[in-house]
Amino acid sequence: MSIERTRRQFFGHSASTLGAGIGIAALAGLLKQDLTAAAPGSRGLPALPGLPHLPPKARRMIVLWQGGAPSQVDLFDHKPGLASRRLQELPESVRAGTRLSTMTASQKKYPILPAIRPFRAYGQCERWLSELLPHTGAIADDICLVKTMQTEAVNHAPGVTLFMTGSQIPGRPSLGAWATYGLGSVTSELPAFVVMTSADRGKTCGQLFFDYYWGSGFLPSKYQGVRFRSEGEPVLYLKNPDGLSAKLRRGLLDDIAALNKRHLNAFGDPEIDTRIAQYEMAYRMQTSVPDLLDITSEPESVLAMYGPDVQRRGSFARNCLLARRLIERGVGFVQLMHSGWDQHGNLSTQLEVQCRDTDQPSAALVRDLKQRGLLDDTIVLWGGEFGRTVFVQGDINNKNAHGRDHFGACYSMWLAGGGFKGGTSYGETDEFCYKAVQDPVHVHDLQATILRQLGIEHEKLTFRYQGRDFRLTDVHGKFVNGMVS
Amino acid sequence: MSGLVVRKSFRCVLGLLILFGWINPVFAAADSGASALAGAVRPILSANCFHCHGQDPVTRKAKLRLDTIEGQRAKAAVVPGQPEKSELIRRIFSKDIDEQMPPPDSHRTLTLAQKEVIRRWVASGAPWESHWAFVPPVRPELPKGLGQRSGGNPIDAFVRARLAVESLKPSPEADRITLLRRVTFDLIGLPPTPAEVEAFLSDKSSDAYERLVDRLLASPHYGERMALPWLDAARYADSNGFQQDGDTHQWVWRDWVVRALNENMPFDRFTIEQLAGDLLPEATLSQKVASGFNRCHLLNGEGGAIAEEQRNVVVFDRVDVTSTAWLGLTMACAQCHDHKYDPITQRDYYRMFAYFNNVPETGVPSGGGQYRIADPAVPHGTEAELAELQRLDDLVSAARAAVETIERSAETIAAQSQWEKSMASASVGTNKVEWQNLEALELKSMGGATLDKLRDDSILATGKSPDRDTYTLVLTNRLSLLTGLRLQTIPDGRFPGGGAGRADSGNAVLTDLTASVAGNRIVFRHATADYTQAGFNAANVIDADKASGWAFYPETAKPHTLLLATESPVAIRPSDPLTVVLDFQFKQAHTLGRFRLSTTTNANPTGRAQISSNALAILKTPVESRSTNDVTAMRDYFLTNSPPSALVAARETASVRKKERDDYRARLPRVMVMSDDKPRQTRILERGNYEHPRDSVTSGTPGFLPPLPPDAPTNRLGLARWLVSAEHPLAARVVVNRTWQTFFGLGLVKTSENFGIQSDPPSHPDLLDWLAVEFRESGWDMKRLHRLIVTSATYRQSSRFRRDNVARDPENRLLARGPRFRLPSMFLRDLALASSGLLDQRIGGKPVYPYQPKDIWDGLSITKERDFTYPQSKGPDLWRRSLYTFWRRTVAPGNMFDASARQVCKVRPDLTSTPMHALTMLNDVTWVEAGRALAERVMKAQTGEEARLSEAFLRVCARSPSSEDMKILRRSLARARTSFTADPATASAYLKAGDSPRDATLDPVEHAAYASVCLAIYNLDEAMTKE
Repeated sequence: MSIERTRRQFFGHSASTLGAGIGIAALAGLLKQDLTAAAPGSRGLPALPGLPHLPPKARRMIVLWQGGAPSQVDLFDHKPGLASRRLQELPESVRAGTRLSTMTASQKKYPILPAIRPFRAYGQCERWLSELLPHTGAIADDICLVKTMQTEAVNHAPGVTLFMTGSQIPGRPSLGAWATYGLGSVTSELPAFVVMTSADRGKTCGQLFFDYYWGSGFLPSKYQGVRFRSEGEPVLYLKNPDGLSAKLRRGLLDDIAALNKRHLNAFGDPEIDTRIAQYEMAYRMQTSVPDLLDITSEPESVLAMYGPDVQRRGSFARNCLLARRLIERGVGFVQLMHSGWDQHGNLSTQLEVQCRDTDQPSAALVRDLKQRGLLDDTIVLWGGEFGRTVFVQGDINNKNAHGRDHFGACYSMWLAGGGFKGGTSYGETDEFCYKAVQDPVHVHDLQATILRQLGIEHEKLTFRYQGRDFRLTDVHGKFVNGMVS
Repeated sequence: MSGLVVRKSFRCVLGLLILFGWINPVFAAADSGASALAGAVRPILSANCFHCHGQDPVTRKAKLRLDTIEGQRAKAAVVPGQPEKSELIRRIFSKDIDEQMPPPDSHRTLTLAQKEVIRRWVASGAPWESHWAFVPPVRPELPKGLGQRSGGNPIDAFVRARLAVESLKPSPEADRITLLRRVTFDLIGLPPTPAEVEAFLSDKSSDAYERLVDRLLASPHYGERMALPWLDAARYADSNGFQQDGDTHQWVWRDWVVRALNENMPFDRFTIEQLAGDLLPEATLSQKVASGFNRCHLLNGEGGAIAEEQRNVVVFDRVDVTSTAWLGLTMACAQCHDHKYDPITQRDYYRMFAYFNNVPETGVPSGGGQYRIADPAVPHGTEAELAELQRLDDLVSAARAAVETIERSAETIAAQSQWEKSMASASVGTNKVEWQNLEALELKSMGGATLDKLRDDSILATGKSPDRDTYTLVLTNRLSLLTGLRLQTIPDGRFPGGGAGRADSGNAVLTDLTASVAGNRIVFRHATADYTQAGFNAANVIDADKASGWAFYPETAKPHTLLLATESPVAIRPSDPLTVVLDFQFKQAHTLGRFRLSTTTNANPTGRAQISSNALAILKTPVESRSTNDVTAMRDYFLTNSPPSALVAARETASVRKKERDDYRARLPRVMVMSDDKPRQTRILERGNYEHPRDSVTSGTPGFLPPLPPDAPTNRLGLARWLVSAEHPLAARVVVNRTWQTFFGLGLVKTSENFGIQSDPPSHPDLLDWLAVEFRESGWDMKRLHRLIVTSATYRQSSRFRRDNVARDPENRLLARGPRFRLPSMFLRDLALASSGLLDQRIGGKPVYPYQPKDIWDGLSITKERDFTYPQSKGPDLWRRSLYTFWRRTVAPGNMFDASARQVCKVRPDLTSTPMHALTMLNDVTWVEAGRALAERVMKAQTGEEARLSEAFLRVCARSPSSEDMKILRRSLARARTSFTADPATASAYLKAGDSPRDATLDPVEHAAYASVCLAIYNLDEAMTKE
């Protein structure tokens, strides 16, 4: 019997015999939170006691992050009335009070630039989306389009940080870390929370991905996302050193374990037991990760769904396919970070390029999950840190050099699976795509809703740090019932 | 509540508790009668009730407050001694959801045990006292009657008294090797060498251990080790974080910390210099550098960032770091509203904020390229470097004085009057310059771009886009005279953002432009452009500096004109072609994509008027009728536009001197420091939003803490002195507790970052107070405190887990055994380097770039604003201590697991165990190379398998392996030998890890086999653990 279990039994025993006679000392002991991980050697990471709080609608999540901020004006928020207002000044009354970045805050004119490409109705739900998104259109009946997302952030890094961690300032745990901390994971062959990044091929966007977008903040670091890299080794230090064969490594690990066991017997520290288990998991990961990344066994038809880019390591398409493979292998949280949407001055060329890079693979992932019966309990989220202005940045007559600036007062994201209502849209914006006029959804609200679908009450999943019970949604957030079935 | 009242009520409650004779709960006061039940109740009420019934009047419900004794007594919420009459008890035990407290929708629930504690507390009279940490510590009496064991010190008296209450005995002293290794790691962060092991084992004198401790405290590596937790608290890093993540020179501050610790600077001075070094009278450079503590924050220079917003974020961070590091309080909650738990009001928060709000800073860093520093900053260097800077400064001053002398000289005055006469007939107004396009004859790109001539005489670059390029253009010229050259940039949709340049931003940087005709270089005197990007002036294209250039970001998509005037008109035969060479040395494809060149014969090609209309008007006024202003204006005009040659020469000298000085200064580190040179009116910000300022406040300290002395300065200096004043209840306790944590893994207060009402109660409150008072009264002597702790019997205990207390006290808070923890990853790397002999022991200096996966920063390389290739060090810098590893805030070093990310203040270390850590230590070249070097070391030092394996084990674990251990090691070696013998190529491959040279005379198979076993030794739990 491990010492760890002894302790648990002790507490269990005391709790059941709690009565008038129990001393104050034992009471005080009882009050101590016991949130330690399960006994060493168990599979995966354990869930916190009492979690999930509610029967979960979703058991996994895939974030398809569109860094740089896609233009909702051009892609999602259909405003046919704007076409006739091209070049007209956005009325001062509409603009007033909305925070802008310093790139356009001092612009003298704010001429309206309507969507640069036509919209079409897709699916049985007749969802109006840009013609640049035919594949997303084909899954229109599976997605819930939120048109009234709101954020206070005006810059990329704070915006992404707010969405991922609930605060604009780096340092708090990310959504994936919270989910993993609360719900644990079922696999020990792979990390519980995996991150992959991709960028547009021209690297026109300049948006970077920082560790804290998938960090664990003040939660123990075992909950942080593990980045699978697209170049070099997929996981840092995964490969045995040159010249050290797998067989020899196995032998060395056995020797390390033998010596560690001797030491465990002498010292009795359960941490030694944990260490032995972690070294075994490391060994297994050395085979499970390459196996995961090897897509040669995927049928042609599946590869075709994701599009030709799937053949290129590090592409968004490849990452989408890998996301599915990760989910299938029991990874609970997958975060794909794609960069390419920061179209301040190249909207006319890059919008289309980015749609080409992301539309087909995103839709393919949803379809692929659906055909495998995985979509129902997997949340897929698509979107970026904010949207873009309806007015032009730069010279409206020079389409080769103009674009749109950052805009957080209303923008669009979509969700599929995990209980989010397919074929619906949520929230309404004004005729200028500038204000949420019905059902605004703040970033914290969406976080609360996502957690709820995962079976977590966002106000209850807290962590005491610096004397305060922190949570993902800070002191905000409300569950949005209208998005989910 | 004033400090006096706090103390008074504290004593009163203390008396009450002694009267009631409380038996203490496990983790509350064992050796203080003060906080028993009230201590247990407070955190329960705080966590579950204060949110609606606490200090914040905005969120308070039912006008009930439970955080004060008055509040509890009002409305009969608490009737002392009568739980059945107390509304609080009725409500918390109520089953009625409308009555129940906390209400179900609050998501807070009380466990049965918690309710029972509250009930007992009420039954016992509901004693309520000030939170212990807010009452200044008083030195407690040492517990008596425990039998004075040898080797014990006052720490042990407290710890043993506590153990006696639990009927536990302390553990025996650890064996000498374990103790040696433990204290060596704890004090200098390195393993003991075999010689040190031998010396300590053979030293039979009674004070052998004390002398060992003294040796370690005197080691220059002591400061390196003790700096680490402080650097985590100070969120020290070598870059800004966020997009661009520019590098900084804050390492100079890091060196200050190491030096201060090595010199055993008293903690009060350590505090004052770091919080307010710049404000000390006659502040030295070192003291200014110390104030860099509050400049180690993140900086966001992202395009479009709102500077004032970022500046406020920076000031918030200073308040957070200062309050966490010295007060052990989370003030951040009060940024938006009065603190829910601690007695910190929003006004208190902004009064604190006011101390840090007077820095002459914008909030965003400046500069492009690798370094991005936000002023204020001071240049720093060695004494010789600073002397050289002073010498160059003096030369600049002298050259400037020479210019002024010439300007005032009689010769100049005479020259002006001569010039005025000559200008009497000058014309006014901007002249219109006619330009003739140059047609391309031959176009060549050194970097392989395709250059084509277009119909509008412009030149287009397509195809390959090299990082750097030189265009050599041979052009027809139809004019017989040349006075100026014009370059027009032409925006084009083919380039990013429709710009004229080929860089990702559509920008280009023309670093040099030269022209020649028939082999004769044309000399340009003057360059101007209609637009210049900050720091990229037109003059750069004709200066001697090949690296500087002209650029036009962010106006890349607009046409721009660069004009160059020749020194004197150049006569050309129209048949002679003109050769123009454009150099683009900025990197990252900052080359021109489309442009046009033309020439002119106009005498004033840069379009300057011969004389301005204002000047002409004055000129026509007789000298005696001119006003003083006119005289000055005329003189300035003359000196600017037609300076005599002596003045031109003097100015040239001054500009050269300035450039020399600036260039030299640019090579020196610039450390960001504090300054109060820009006083600002601080206002309370509604919900912490800088756009919603409300009432003005002045600087000041929170009202619940002792007041500032009446004559204290109202700036950071006053704040710093107050923190380390004798009356202060927090700083000494907070620091002593963090020190305890450094040695024991956990603080006496487990929540070392928080001493507020929500904090974990101290396991040994009297010990904490005793240490705090002792520390303060010793003159804040840090080495003395460390010595006191490590020479205690408590510290020296064996760390073996004990069946009799492991269940009761799994975290070892009762201290019935010694500490046992995995070493931080920085130590693990240092252990590998030191034991293998690779370690470079130089202290201090610029950060270094040891082995990292070569694409570690690839996530950043998306930006082309600078090169983010990891610049791996060569030679000894690869093997410096981990402390010196360059710390990039956005991407931490891949092999420093569990380390603080250095984004925000962190005072409690993180120790987890994941497969990723195992992979790092098994496969990272750092450890593989160390294994190889260790193998080589022991193979050369010893003969015979056992001797070699034994020394390797000894160098890592400080002990010789037992015979059982040896059996396994030999088995391991035999297996490796068989494997490498079967395929000798694998041995050679394995031995290639790392840059350090290998002794080629060693048999590769043998060497590889030993190396693999050495790697295994590094991966033993024992090796990576302080035990």
